[in-house]
Amino acid sequence: MPQADRLVKTSDCFQLWLGQDDVRFFALVTMFITGLFLIRRQMRVGLLAILLLMAGVAGPLGIAAAALPDDQRYPASGDRLLLWVSYERGRAPVEASGAEALAAAGVEVWSLDPTSSYFLPQLARSMDAVPQEDVADWMQAALVSGKQVTIYAVARAAVPVLRGLAALEPAQRAAICVMLMYPNIYREAEPLAEPDYLDFGSLEGARIRILQPRRSAATPWLPGRVEALEMQGANVSSVILENLREDFWARETPTEFETIEGRRLDAILLREMESWRCR
Amino acid sequence: MAMSLGMKWGHRLGLVAMLLLAAPLGAAGFQARDAVPAPALVARDLAGVERTLADYRGKVVLLNFWATWCPPCRREMPSMERLRVKMQGRPLEILALDSAEPVEDVEAFLAIMKLGFPILLDPDGVITKNWKVFGLPTSFLIDAQGRIRYSLSGPVEWDEGEALQVVESLLAELPATQDKAPNP
Repeated sequence: MPQADRLVKTSDCFQLWLGQDDVRFFALVTMFITGLFLIRRQMRVGLLAILLLMAGVAGPLGIAAAALPDDQRYPASGDRLLLWVSYERGRAPVEASGAEALAAAGVEVWSLDPTSSYFLPQLARSMDAVPQEDVADWMQAALVSGKQVTIYAVARAAVPVLRGLAALEPAQRAAICVMLMYPNIYREAEPLAEPDYLDFGSLEGARIRILQPRRSAATPWLPGRVEALEMQGANVSSVILENLREDFWARETPTEFETIEGRRLDAILLREMESWRCR
Repeated sequence: MAMSLGMKWGHRLGLVAMLLLAAPLGAAGFQARDAVPAPALVARDLAGVERTLADYRGKVVLLNFWATWCPPCRREMPSMERLRVKMQGRPLEILALDSAEPVEDVEAFLAIMKLGFPILLDPDGVITKNWKVFGLPTSFLIDAQGRIRYSLSGPVEWDEGEALQVVESLLAELPATQDKAPNP
């Protein structure tokens, strides 16, 4: 995608959360208040003048029109391509090293960190704001490579992936293998109420593998999520990852086993890609 | 400094407005419920004894869903134990229901952390699903008639602040003969 298009799309995405005028307003107010506390009185007038000048300049330039990182690519000569979508906390160092290891093993990796790429807050719900057209374009670009494409997404990042998948032509959808690590696909999940699952549109022909760490509040709800995706047309299988918690590769206080497994995340993904035999 | 009557009332109203605005920020996140009857709960404790919610009718019940692998659950456990000690002799029962993990994990945890309230087991997660618990910890406060009055997603310090107030508010509904609250 040309850089100019990417800038425009990102700007649009940012405005899903706040209008550009709102962004400018909040940026100014925050900077102004912070400045008042931090600087001496004689400098405050100068700061005010600078901020007003910035407000005038920010409009024509577009405040969200910064240069953005695209996906991170790890080329490899093998016939498999893994699209790796990190979750809302961003790309963990272990994920980057895992992508390198996979590339060394012949699996090309395109790694997408949605919160970074789209300047989104590091919140699960931010994933819902990732444009599905972009994800669909990304998957189509991967298919053009002629390689066997697997897309892997973590937690709420499953939402833009499944939406993008639903936006594809059925033949394209069927050509992609989807691996979801403890997908959060709820519209609403409140205590004492039946879970309400998101409707992604048609997932007819999609082949989905759910990777569910055992030590997760979501584990008892695995059958419900499988059923919800099957109801939308997907062919779903699942595997339990024993003795692991959600985001075991990025835990602040991991168990010894989680540390070991986190370091071999690439091997876990490779094992699933191979044992699942999604062709 | 002397203030006019108008200014005094202005200050007071301002203070009230600030407190009202600040209250939700400091709130623990208790959700008041429509006093619906609690779902069925039949679970074994660590001694293998079957317990049901009906066993505790006439008491206020704090039902806490937790797991040993859940750091926030482990963090709030000591405050639940302090609440138990603080409320000794009063009609409050604390039940901690371990969600979907082997009993050995629970026993290993309890060897480290001594708790005086019953630990119930839900090894296959059936009760967790029946109560529609999607995150841990999740807690429910059940009144003496067996109705769910509050729910809370996430941890809290149970022996102080809003949590203690909510517990006391349910105890206050009981006839004085049932709950002899300590003198302030």
